[in-house]
Amino acid sequence: MIVLSELENDALVEIFNIGVGQAAASMSAIVNEAVRMSVPSITFIHRAEAARLLRNQVFEPERICGVSQHYEGAFETEAILMFPEDKSLEIVRLMVGESVPLAELTDMEQEAMCEIGNIILNSCVGTLANIFQHELRGSLPAYHVGTSEEILTAPGSEPDAVVLMLHIDFVLEKHQIQGYVAFVLDLSAMHDLKAQINRYIARAMGQA
Amino acid sequence: MRAMDASVPAEHRLKVLRSVLAAVNVGAVVIDADGRVVLWNAWMSRHSGLAQEDVVGAELLAACPGLRGGRVDSAIGQALRDNFASVLSQSLNKAPFALYASAAAGARGERLQQAVEITPIDVEGAARHCLVQISDVSVAVAREKLLREQAMVLRSQTFADGLTGIANRRHFDVAMEKEHRRAKRAGAALSLLMIDIDHFKAYNDHYGHQKGDQCLIQVAAGLAGMLKRPCDLMARYGGEEFAVILPELDLDQAGRIAETIRARALELAIPHARNGEVPYVTVSIGITSQPRGAPVDIEALIGAADRALYEAKNRGRNRCAALNP
Repeated sequence: MIVLSELENDALVEIFNIGVGQAAASMSAIVNEAVRMSVPSITFIHRAEAARLLRNQVFEPERICGVSQHYEGAFETEAILMFPEDKSLEIVRLMVGESVPLAELTDMEQEAMCEIGNIILNSCVGTLANIFQHELRGSLPAYHVGTSEEILTAPGSEPDAVVLMLHIDFVLEKHQIQGYVAFVLDLSAMHDLKAQINRYIARAMGQA
Repeated sequence: MRAMDASVPAEHRLKVLRSVLAAVNVGAVVIDADGRVVLWNAWMSRHSGLAQEDVVGAELLAACPGLRGGRVDSAIGQALRDNFASVLSQSLNKAPFALYASAAAGARGERLQQAVEITPIDVEGAARHCLVQISDVSVAVAREKLLREQAMVLRSQTFADGLTGIANRRHFDVAMEKEHRRAKRAGAALSLLMIDIDHFKAYNDHYGHQKGDQCLIQVAAGLAGMLKRPCDLMARYGGEEFAVILPELDLDQAGRIAETIRARALELAIPHARNGEVPYVTVSIGITSQPRGAPVDIEALIGAADRALYEAKNRGRNRCAALNP
Protein backbone atom coordinates (compact mmCIF):
# COMPACT_ATOMS: atom_id res chain seq x y z
CA MET A 1 0.00 0.00 0.00
CA ILE A 2 1.20 3.44 -0.82
CA VAL A 3 1.46 5.79 2.08
CA LEU A 4 1.46 9.54 1.64
CA SER A 5 3.53 11.74 3.89
CA GLU A 6 1.63 14.30 5.92
CA LEU A 7 2.92 17.02 3.59
CA GLU A 8 1.75 15.16 0.48
CA ASN A 9 -1.63 14.49 2.04
CA ASP A 10 -2.12 18.14 3.03
CA ALA A 11 -1.06 19.34 -0.42
CA LEU A 12 -3.61 17.09 -2.12
CA VAL A 13 -6.43 18.02 0.27
CA GLU A 14 -5.68 21.68 -0.40
CA ILE A 15 -5.61 21.18 -4.18
CA PHE A 16 -8.91 19.30 -4.19
CA ASN A 17 -10.59 21.87 -1.96
CA ILE A 18 -9.66 24.55 -4.50
CA GLY A 19 -11.11 22.28 -7.21
CA VAL A 20 -14.45 21.56 -5.55
CA GLY A 21 -14.68 25.23 -4.53
CA GLN A 22 -14.63 26.16 -8.22
CA ALA A 23 -17.16 23.42 -9.00
CA ALA A 24 -19.46 24.80 -6.28
CA ALA A 25 -19.18 28.30 -7.77
CA SER A 26 -20.11 26.97 -11.25
CA MET A 27 -23.10 25.12 -9.83
CA SER A 28 -24.24 28.15 -7.80
CA ALA A 29 -24.23 30.13 -11.05
CA ILE A 30 -26.45 27.50 -12.70
CA VAL A 31 -29.07 27.29 -9.94
CA ASN A 32 -28.76 30.84 -8.63
CA GLU A 33 -28.47 29.53 -5.08
CA ALA A 34 -25.55 29.01 -2.73
CA VAL A 35 -23.88 25.62 -3.29
CA ARG A 36 -20.98 24.77 -1.01
CA MET A 37 -18.56 21.88 -1.41
CA SER A 38 -15.52 20.73 0.49
CA VAL A 39 -13.15 17.79 0.69
CA PRO A 40 -12.60 17.03 4.39
CA SER A 41 -10.23 14.11 3.78
CA ILE A 42 -8.59 11.82 1.25
CA THR A 43 -7.35 8.23 1.47
CA PHE A 44 -5.37 5.86 -0.72
CA ILE A 45 -6.78 2.36 -0.68
CA HIS A 46 -6.95 -0.76 -2.83
CA ARG A 47 -9.89 -0.99 -5.14
CA ALA A 48 -11.50 -3.92 -3.32
CA GLU A 49 -11.20 -2.03 -0.06
CA ALA A 50 -12.74 1.08 -1.64
CA ALA A 51 -15.69 -1.01 -2.83
CA ARG A 52 -16.15 -2.41 0.70
CA LEU A 53 -16.03 1.08 2.21
CA LEU A 54 -18.75 2.26 -0.18
CA ARG A 55 -20.87 -0.81 0.35
CA ASN A 56 -20.96 0.00 4.06
CA GLN A 57 -22.41 3.43 3.26
CA VAL A 58 -25.60 2.06 1.76
CA PHE A 59 -28.29 -0.26 2.96
CA GLU A 60 -28.91 -3.28 0.75
CA PRO A 61 -30.38 -3.49 -1.80
CA GLU A 62 -29.65 0.16 -2.42
CA ARG A 63 -27.33 0.94 -5.28
CA ILE A 64 -24.60 3.45 -5.99
CA CYS A 65 -24.82 6.05 -8.75
CA GLY A 66 -21.58 6.92 -10.47
CA VAL A 67 -20.48 9.42 -13.09
CA SER A 68 -17.12 8.50 -14.60
CA GLN A 69 -14.64 10.22 -16.87
CA HIS A 70 -11.33 9.11 -18.28
CA TYR A 71 -8.30 11.40 -18.07
CA GLU A 72 -4.86 10.89 -19.58
CA GLY A 73 -1.69 12.91 -19.88
CA ALA A 74 0.80 13.50 -17.05
CA PHE A 75 -0.90 10.50 -15.43
CA GLU A 76 -3.81 8.33 -16.44
CA THR A 77 -6.89 7.79 -14.33
CA GLU A 78 -10.55 6.94 -14.33
CA ALA A 79 -12.31 9.52 -12.14
CA ILE A 80 -15.68 8.54 -10.68
CA LEU A 81 -18.09 10.68 -8.66
CA MET A 82 -20.26 8.43 -6.49
CA PHE A 83 -23.33 8.88 -4.33
CA PRO A 84 -25.74 6.35 -2.82
CA GLU A 85 -28.72 6.24 -5.19
CA ASP A 86 -31.13 8.07 -2.86
CA LYS A 87 -28.58 10.87 -2.35
CA SER A 88 -28.15 11.27 -6.10
CA LEU A 89 -31.93 11.62 -6.40
CA GLU A 90 -31.78 14.30 -3.71
CA ILE A 91 -28.93 16.22 -5.37
CA VAL A 92 -30.42 16.20 -8.86
CA ARG A 93 -33.88 17.19 -7.65
CA LEU A 94 -32.44 19.96 -5.49
CA MET A 95 -30.36 21.24 -8.41
CA VAL A 96 -33.11 20.98 -11.00
CA GLY A 97 -35.63 22.41 -8.53
CA GLU A 98 -38.41 20.07 -9.54
CA SER A 99 -39.36 16.91 -7.78
CA VAL A 100 -40.48 13.77 -9.53
CA PRO A 101 -42.00 11.31 -7.11
CA LEU A 102 -40.14 8.37 -8.66
CA ALA A 103 -37.56 6.08 -7.06
CA GLU A 104 -35.10 6.22 -9.96
CA LEU A 105 -33.50 9.02 -11.92
CA THR A 106 -35.30 9.61 -15.21
CA ASP A 107 -33.27 9.91 -18.43
CA MET A 108 -33.20 13.70 -18.23
CA GLU A 109 -32.20 13.54 -14.57
CA GLN A 110 -29.38 11.10 -15.40
CA GLU A 111 -28.16 13.64 -17.92
CA ALA A 112 -28.29 16.36 -15.26
CA MET A 113 -26.36 14.07 -12.88
CA CYS A 114 -23.75 13.60 -15.65
CA GLU A 115 -23.41 17.35 -15.90
CA ILE A 116 -22.98 17.71 -12.13
CA GLY A 117 -20.31 14.97 -12.21
CA ASN A 118 -18.68 16.58 -15.24
CA ILE A 119 -18.40 19.94 -13.44
CA ILE A 120 -17.01 18.42 -10.23
CA LEU A 121 -14.53 16.06 -11.93
CA ASN A 122 -13.26 18.65 -14.44
CA SER A 123 -12.74 21.16 -11.62
CA CYS A 124 -10.84 18.67 -9.46
CA VAL A 125 -8.65 17.38 -12.28
CA GLY A 126 -8.28 20.87 -13.74
CA THR A 127 -6.85 22.22 -10.49
CA LEU A 128 -4.57 19.22 -10.26
CA ALA A 129 -3.34 19.66 -13.84
CA ASN A 130 -2.86 23.37 -13.33
CA ILE A 131 -0.81 22.92 -10.19
CA PHE A 132 1.25 20.13 -11.73
CA GLN A 133 1.72 22.34 -14.81
CA HIS A 134 0.73 19.44 -17.04
CA GLU A 135 -2.20 19.00 -19.31
CA LEU A 136 -4.65 16.09 -19.01
CA ARG A 137 -7.15 15.19 -21.69
CA GLY A 138 -10.66 14.50 -20.37
CA SER A 139 -13.41 12.37 -21.92
CA LEU A 140 -17.16 12.95 -21.79
CA PRO A 141 -18.88 11.60 -18.65
CA ALA A 142 -20.75 8.29 -18.48
CA TYR A 143 -23.52 7.43 -16.00
CA HIS A 144 -23.58 4.11 -14.13
CA VAL A 145 -25.75 2.62 -11.46
CA GLY A 146 -24.98 -0.61 -9.63
CA THR A 147 -23.12 -2.08 -6.67
CA SER A 148 -19.94 -0.39 -5.49
CA GLU A 149 -17.91 -3.25 -7.03
CA GLU A 150 -19.60 -2.78 -10.40
CA ILE A 151 -19.06 0.96 -10.39
CA LEU A 152 -15.41 0.76 -9.35
CA THR A 153 -14.47 -1.99 -11.78
CA ALA A 154 -16.43 -0.59 -14.74
CA PRO A 155 -13.43 1.22 -16.21
CA GLY A 156 -11.17 -1.85 -16.33
CA SER A 157 -9.83 -4.46 -14.00
CA GLU A 158 -6.12 -4.22 -13.30
CA PRO A 159 -5.87 -6.35 -10.17
CA ASP A 160 -3.36 -4.06 -8.47
CA ALA A 161 -5.29 -0.84 -9.03
CA VAL A 162 -5.40 1.63 -6.18
CA VAL A 163 -7.98 4.27 -5.53
CA LEU A 164 -7.43 7.82 -4.35
CA MET A 165 -10.70 8.45 -2.51
CA LEU A 166 -11.97 11.94 -1.79
CA HIS A 167 -14.74 12.43 0.74
CA ILE A 168 -16.98 15.19 -0.54
CA ASP A 169 -19.44 17.33 1.41
CA PHE A 170 -22.09 18.93 -0.74
CA VAL A 171 -24.38 21.57 0.80
CA LEU A 172 -27.41 23.04 -0.97
CA GLU A 173 -30.22 24.79 0.89
CA LYS A 174 -30.41 23.00 4.24
CA HIS A 175 -29.31 19.69 2.79
CA GLN A 176 -25.89 18.27 3.45
CA ILE A 177 -24.99 15.31 1.29
CA GLN A 178 -21.88 13.16 1.48
CA GLY A 179 -20.35 11.50 -1.54
CA TYR A 180 -17.06 10.32 -2.94
CA VAL A 181 -14.77 10.96 -5.83
CA ALA A 182 -12.52 8.01 -6.69
CA PHE A 183 -9.47 8.27 -8.91
CA VAL A 184 -8.65 4.75 -10.04
CA LEU A 185 -4.92 4.51 -10.72
CA ASP A 186 -2.68 1.64 -11.76
CA LEU A 187 0.73 1.42 -10.10
CA SER A 188 2.60 3.41 -12.72
CA ALA A 189 -0.06 6.16 -12.69
CA MET A 190 0.16 6.14 -8.90
CA HIS A 191 3.93 6.75 -9.05
CA ASP A 192 3.47 9.46 -11.69
CA LEU A 193 0.98 11.19 -9.41
CA LYS A 194 3.24 10.93 -6.37
CA ALA A 195 6.17 12.31 -8.38
CA GLN A 196 4.01 15.26 -9.48
CA ILE A 197 2.93 16.00 -5.90
CA ASN A 198 6.53 16.06 -4.74
CA ARG A 199 7.57 18.31 -7.60
CA TYR A 200 4.76 20.67 -6.58
CA ILE A 201 5.74 20.59 -2.92
CA ALA A 202 9.39 21.23 -3.80
CA ARG A 203 8.35 24.19 -5.96
CA ALA A 204 6.05 25.52 -3.28
CA MET A 205 8.84 25.35 -0.72
CA GLY A 206 11.26 27.09 -3.04
CA GLN A 207 13.52 24.11 -3.55
CA ALA A 208 12.98 23.68 -7.25
CA MET B 1 -5.68 -0.31 -44.30
CA ARG B 2 -3.15 1.69 -46.25
CA ALA B 3 -4.14 0.04 -49.54
CA MET B 4 -7.82 0.70 -48.79
CA ASP B 5 -7.10 4.33 -47.96
CA ALA B 6 -5.25 4.80 -51.22
CA SER B 7 -8.15 3.40 -53.20
CA VAL B 8 -10.37 6.25 -52.01
CA PRO B 9 -8.71 9.56 -52.89
CA ALA B 10 -8.51 12.13 -50.10
CA GLU B 11 -10.50 14.60 -52.13
CA HIS B 12 -13.38 12.17 -52.49
CA ARG B 13 -13.35 11.35 -48.79
CA LEU B 14 -13.55 15.05 -48.01
CA LYS B 15 -16.68 15.32 -50.17
CA VAL B 16 -18.22 12.34 -48.39
CA LEU B 17 -17.44 13.86 -44.99
CA ARG B 18 -19.04 17.12 -46.06
CA SER B 19 -22.20 15.30 -47.17
CA VAL B 20 -22.33 13.30 -43.93
CA LEU B 21 -22.06 16.47 -41.86
CA ALA B 22 -24.88 17.99 -43.88
CA ALA B 23 -27.04 14.90 -43.37
CA VAL B 24 -26.59 14.10 -39.65
CA ASN B 25 -29.49 14.86 -37.38
CA VAL B 26 -27.50 16.79 -34.76
CA GLY B 27 -26.09 20.28 -34.69
CA ALA B 28 -22.33 20.27 -35.25
CA VAL B 29 -20.22 23.39 -34.73
CA VAL B 30 -16.42 23.52 -34.69
CA ILE B 31 -14.66 26.40 -32.98
CA ASP B 32 -10.97 27.21 -33.45
CA ALA B 33 -8.47 28.31 -30.80
CA ASP B 34 -9.50 31.96 -31.28
CA GLY B 35 -13.17 31.25 -30.70
CA ARG B 36 -14.09 31.54 -34.38
CA VAL B 37 -16.58 29.27 -36.11
CA VAL B 38 -14.82 26.91 -38.52
CA LEU B 39 -17.75 24.62 -39.22
CA TRP B 40 -21.53 25.14 -38.94
CA ASN B 41 -23.51 22.24 -40.37
CA ALA B 42 -26.82 22.24 -42.25
CA TRP B 43 -28.79 21.21 -39.12
CA MET B 44 -27.53 24.38 -37.39
CA SER B 45 -28.46 26.58 -40.37
CA ARG B 46 -31.90 24.98 -40.54
CA HIS B 47 -32.72 25.53 -36.87
CA SER B 48 -30.92 28.82 -36.24
CA GLY B 49 -31.82 30.63 -39.45
CA LEU B 50 -28.12 31.60 -39.70
CA ALA B 51 -26.58 30.54 -43.01
CA GLN B 52 -23.21 28.84 -43.03
CA GLU B 53 -21.57 31.66 -45.00
CA ASP B 54 -22.74 34.24 -42.46
CA VAL B 55 -21.35 32.37 -39.48
CA VAL B 56 -18.18 30.63 -40.61
CA GLY B 57 -15.19 32.86 -39.93
CA ALA B 58 -17.06 34.95 -37.35
CA GLU B 59 -16.54 34.68 -33.62
CA LEU B 60 -19.12 32.36 -32.08
CA LEU B 61 -20.00 34.97 -29.46
CA ALA B 62 -20.57 37.56 -32.19
CA ALA B 63 -22.86 35.17 -34.11
CA CYS B 64 -24.65 34.01 -30.95
CA PRO B 65 -24.32 36.90 -28.46
CA GLY B 66 -26.70 35.20 -25.99
CA LEU B 67 -24.01 32.65 -25.15
CA ARG B 68 -21.58 35.20 -23.69
CA GLY B 69 -20.69 34.54 -20.07
CA GLY B 70 -22.86 31.42 -19.87
CA ARG B 71 -22.08 27.72 -19.45
CA VAL B 72 -21.49 27.15 -23.19
CA ASP B 73 -18.94 29.97 -23.24
CA SER B 74 -17.05 28.60 -20.23
CA ALA B 75 -17.23 24.97 -21.44
CA ILE B 76 -15.74 25.99 -24.80
CA GLY B 77 -12.98 27.82 -22.92
CA GLN B 78 -12.34 24.70 -20.85
CA ALA B 79 -12.17 22.50 -23.97
CA LEU B 80 -9.76 24.84 -25.80
CA ARG B 81 -7.61 25.70 -22.80
CA ASP B 82 -7.68 22.60 -20.56
CA ASN B 83 -8.53 19.86 -23.09
CA PHE B 84 -11.62 18.84 -21.08
CA ALA B 85 -14.96 17.67 -22.48
CA SER B 86 -18.25 18.97 -21.01
CA VAL B 87 -21.92 18.07 -21.10
CA LEU B 88 -24.70 20.61 -20.67
CA SER B 89 -27.93 18.91 -19.72
CA GLN B 90 -31.33 20.19 -20.76
CA SER B 91 -32.55 20.22 -17.14
CA LEU B 92 -29.81 22.50 -15.83
CA ASN B 93 -29.38 24.68 -18.92
CA LYS B 94 -32.56 25.93 -20.47
CA ALA B 95 -31.98 25.97 -24.25
CA PRO B 96 -28.71 27.98 -24.48
CA PHE B 97 -28.72 28.22 -28.32
CA ALA B 98 -31.39 30.18 -30.19
CA LEU B 99 -32.60 27.16 -32.18
CA TYR B 100 -36.18 26.58 -33.31
CA ALA B 101 -38.11 23.62 -34.72
CA SER B 102 -39.73 25.82 -37.38
CA ALA B 103 -40.14 29.43 -38.42
CA ALA B 104 -43.47 29.49 -36.57
CA ALA B 105 -41.82 28.27 -33.35
CA GLY B 106 -39.17 30.96 -33.91
CA ALA B 107 -41.85 33.63 -34.14
CA ARG B 108 -43.32 32.38 -30.84
CA GLY B 109 -39.84 32.32 -29.30
CA GLU B 110 -40.14 28.60 -28.45
CA ARG B 111 -36.62 27.21 -28.51
CA LEU B 112 -35.75 23.57 -29.13
CA GLN B 113 -34.97 21.68 -25.92
CA GLN B 114 -31.25 21.01 -26.16
CA ALA B 115 -28.61 18.64 -24.84
CA VAL B 116 -25.11 19.91 -25.61
CA GLU B 117 -21.75 18.14 -25.66
CA ILE B 118 -18.50 20.04 -26.03
CA THR B 119 -15.35 18.07 -26.87
CA PRO B 120 -11.80 19.26 -27.56
CA ILE B 121 -10.45 18.04 -30.92
CA ASP B 122 -6.92 17.93 -32.24
CA VAL B 123 -6.44 19.29 -35.73
CA GLU B 124 -3.21 18.49 -37.56
CA GLY B 125 -1.05 21.56 -37.97
CA ALA B 126 -3.27 23.89 -35.92
CA ALA B 127 -3.92 24.81 -32.31
CA ARG B 128 -6.65 22.78 -30.58
CA HIS B 129 -10.25 23.20 -31.78
CA CYS B 130 -13.45 22.09 -30.15
CA LEU B 131 -16.60 20.40 -31.37
CA VAL B 132 -20.00 21.46 -30.09
CA GLN B 133 -22.75 18.88 -30.65
CA ILE B 134 -26.35 19.82 -30.02
CA SER B 135 -29.21 17.33 -29.99
CA ASP B 136 -32.90 18.08 -29.91
CA VAL B 137 -34.38 16.45 -26.78
CA SER B 138 -37.83 18.06 -27.03
CA VAL B 139 -39.58 14.68 -27.32
CA ALA B 140 -37.90 13.29 -24.21
CA VAL B 141 -38.65 16.48 -22.28
CA ALA B 142 -42.33 16.33 -23.22
CA ARG B 143 -42.52 12.65 -22.23
CA GLU B 144 -40.98 13.31 -18.85
CA LYS B 145 -43.28 16.26 -18.25
CA LEU B 146 -46.24 13.93 -18.81
CA LEU B 147 -44.70 11.32 -16.52
CA ARG B 148 -44.16 13.91 -13.82
CA GLU B 149 -47.69 15.25 -14.11
CA GLN B 150 -49.23 11.79 -13.88
CA ALA B 151 -47.08 10.95 -10.89
CA MET B 152 -48.21 14.21 -9.28
CA VAL B 153 -51.88 13.34 -9.87
CA LEU B 154 -51.38 9.99 -8.17
CA ARG B 155 -49.60 11.66 -5.33
CA SER B 156 -52.20 14.39 -4.93
CA GLN B 157 -54.66 11.71 -3.86
CA THR B 158 -52.58 11.21 -0.72
CA PHE B 159 -52.31 14.98 -0.46
CA ALA B 160 -56.01 15.69 -0.06
CA ASP B 161 -57.74 16.53 3.21
CA GLY B 162 -60.10 13.68 4.11
CA LEU B 163 -63.00 15.92 5.16
CA THR B 164 -62.97 18.91 2.84
CA GLY B 165 -61.21 17.43 -0.20
CA ILE B 166 -58.90 20.43 -0.57
CA ALA B 167 -55.11 20.13 -0.06
CA ASN B 168 -54.02 18.83 3.34
CA ARG B 169 -51.28 20.07 5.63
CA ARG B 170 -48.68 17.78 4.07
CA HIS B 171 -49.51 19.13 0.62
CA PHE B 172 -49.19 22.66 1.99
CA ASP B 173 -45.73 21.93 3.45
CA VAL B 174 -44.45 20.47 0.16
CA ALA B 175 -45.98 23.25 -1.98
CA MET B 176 -44.67 25.94 0.37
CA GLU B 177 -41.16 24.51 0.20
CA LYS B 178 -41.34 24.41 -3.61
CA GLU B 179 -42.80 27.91 -4.05
CA HIS B 180 -40.41 29.38 -1.51
CA ARG B 181 -37.40 28.03 -3.43
CA ARG B 182 -38.86 29.10 -6.74
CA ALA B 183 -39.44 32.65 -5.42
CA LYS B 184 -35.90 32.76 -4.08
CA ARG B 185 -34.36 31.63 -7.36
CA ALA B 186 -36.49 33.92 -9.48
CA GLY B 187 -36.25 36.85 -7.05
CA ALA B 188 -40.06 36.94 -7.05
CA ALA B 189 -42.57 37.90 -4.36
CA LEU B 190 -44.52 35.23 -2.45
CA SER B 191 -47.61 35.86 -0.34
CA LEU B 192 -49.32 33.78 2.29
CA LEU B 193 -52.81 34.05 3.83
CA MET B 194 -53.93 32.43 7.08
CA ILE B 195 -57.70 32.14 7.31
CA ASP B 196 -59.65 31.22 10.43
CA ILE B 197 -63.41 30.75 10.85
CA ASP B 198 -64.64 33.16 13.54
CA HIS B 199 -66.09 31.66 16.75
CA PHE B 200 -65.97 28.16 15.29
CA LYS B 201 -65.90 26.51 18.72
CA ALA B 202 -69.13 28.31 19.58
CA TYR B 203 -70.58 27.13 16.24
CA ASN B 204 -69.72 23.51 17.07
CA ASP B 205 -71.12 23.85 20.61
CA HIS B 206 -74.35 25.38 19.33
CA TYR B 207 -75.01 23.30 16.16
CA GLY B 208 -73.11 20.05 16.93
CA HIS B 209 -70.05 18.49 15.30
CA GLN B 210 -71.87 17.15 12.24
CA LYS B 211 -73.03 20.65 11.34
CA GLY B 212 -69.52 21.82 12.16
CA ASP B 213 -68.09 19.43 9.57
CA GLN B 214 -70.68 20.58 7.02
CA CYS B 215 -69.66 24.18 7.68
CA LEU B 216 -65.94 23.35 7.10
CA ILE B 217 -66.75 21.58 3.81
CA GLN B 218 -68.87 24.49 2.56
CA VAL B 219 -66.37 27.17 3.54
CA ALA B 220 -63.41 25.21 2.09
CA ALA B 221 -65.17 24.68 -1.25
CA GLY B 222 -66.50 28.24 -1.41
CA LEU B 223 -63.18 29.91 -0.65
CA ALA B 224 -60.96 27.56 -2.71
CA GLY B 225 -63.17 28.38 -5.71
CA MET B 226 -62.04 32.03 -5.46
CA LEU B 227 -58.47 31.18 -6.51
CA LYS B 228 -58.06 31.50 -10.25
CA ARG B 229 -54.42 30.76 -11.02
CA PRO B 230 -53.16 27.15 -11.15
CA CYS B 231 -50.19 28.05 -8.95
CA ASP B 232 -52.39 29.33 -6.09
CA LEU B 233 -53.03 26.75 -3.39
CA MET B 234 -55.51 26.67 -0.53
CA ALA B 235 -54.95 24.00 2.11
CA ARG B 236 -56.61 22.99 5.35
CA TYR B 237 -53.88 23.99 7.78
CA GLY B 238 -55.50 22.55 10.88
CA GLY B 239 -58.94 22.49 12.61
CA GLU B 240 -60.87 25.47 11.25
CA GLU B 241 -57.76 27.15 9.87
CA PHE B 242 -56.89 27.40 6.17
CA ALA B 243 -53.70 28.62 4.45
CA VAL B 244 -53.40 30.08 0.95
CA ILE B 245 -50.12 30.28 -0.99
CA LEU B 246 -50.08 33.09 -3.56
CA PRO B 247 -46.87 32.99 -5.64
CA GLU B 248 -45.59 36.19 -7.28
CA LEU B 249 -48.10 38.47 -5.55
CA ASP B 250 -46.99 41.36 -3.34
CA LEU B 251 -48.65 42.47 -0.10
CA ASP B 252 -51.16 44.79 -1.82
CA GLN B 253 -52.22 42.24 -4.41
CA ALA B 254 -52.52 39.53 -1.75
CA GLY B 255 -54.56 41.97 0.36
CA ARG B 256 -57.11 42.42 -2.45
CA ILE B 257 -57.49 38.65 -2.83
CA ALA B 258 -57.85 38.27 0.95
CA GLU B 259 -60.62 40.87 0.94
CA THR B 260 -62.58 39.06 -1.81
CA ILE B 261 -62.16 35.80 0.11
CA ARG B 262 -63.44 37.42 3.32
CA ALA B 263 -66.44 38.86 1.44
CA ARG B 264 -67.12 35.51 -0.23
CA ALA B 265 -67.28 33.73 3.16
CA LEU B 266 -69.99 36.14 4.28
CA GLU B 267 -71.87 35.68 0.97
CA LEU B 268 -72.09 31.95 1.65
CA ALA B 269 -74.64 33.08 4.29
CA ILE B 270 -74.18 30.09 6.58
CA PRO B 271 -76.22 30.93 9.71
CA HIS B 272 -74.13 31.32 12.88
CA ALA B 273 -76.23 32.45 15.84
CA ARG B 274 -73.22 32.76 18.15
CA ASN B 275 -71.10 34.97 15.91
CA GLY B 276 -71.75 38.30 17.61
CA GLU B 277 -73.11 41.16 15.47
CA VAL B 278 -73.17 39.28 12.13
CA PRO B 279 -75.46 36.21 12.37
CA TYR B 280 -73.52 34.35 9.64
CA VAL B 281 -70.24 32.45 9.44
CA THR B 282 -67.35 34.90 8.86
CA VAL B 283 -63.59 34.54 8.57
CA SER B 284 -60.59 36.54 9.74
CA ILE B 285 -57.53 36.65 7.51
CA GLY B 286 -53.85 37.34 8.21
CA ILE B 287 -51.78 38.44 5.21
CA THR B 288 -48.04 38.48 4.75
CA SER B 289 -45.70 38.68 1.78
CA GLN B 290 -42.05 38.03 1.10
CA PRO B 291 -40.78 41.02 -0.89
CA ARG B 292 -39.09 40.56 -4.28
CA GLY B 293 -35.42 39.71 -3.92
CA ALA B 294 -35.54 39.66 -0.10
CA PRO B 295 -36.36 36.08 0.88
CA VAL B 296 -37.09 35.15 4.49
CA ASP B 297 -37.43 31.71 6.10
CA ILE B 298 -40.66 29.78 5.63
CA GLU B 299 -41.07 29.80 9.43
CA ALA B 300 -40.82 33.60 9.48
CA LEU B 301 -43.43 33.87 6.73
CA ILE B 302 -45.87 31.57 8.51
CA GLY B 303 -45.17 33.35 11.82
CA ALA B 304 -45.98 36.75 10.29
CA ALA B 305 -49.23 35.45 8.75
CA ASP B 306 -50.20 33.99 12.14
CA ARG B 307 -49.54 37.29 13.92
CA ALA B 308 -51.52 39.17 11.27
CA LEU B 309 -54.41 36.74 11.76
CA TYR B 310 -54.24 37.30 15.54
CA GLU B 311 -54.40 41.03 14.89
CA ALA B 312 -57.46 40.65 12.62
CA LYS B 313 -59.17 38.68 15.42
CA ASN B 314 -58.20 41.30 18.00
CA ARG B 315 -59.61 44.10 15.91
CA GLY B 316 -63.03 42.47 15.96
CA ARG B 317 -62.97 39.56 13.44
CA ASN B 318 -64.58 39.38 9.96
CA ARG B 319 -61.64 41.39 8.63
CA CYS B 320 -58.16 41.17 7.15
CA ALA B 321 -54.86 42.38 8.61
CA ALA B 322 -51.46 42.53 6.95
CA LEU B 323 -47.95 42.30 8.41
CA ASN B 324 -44.51 42.20 6.81
CA PRO B 325 -42.44 39.15 7.77
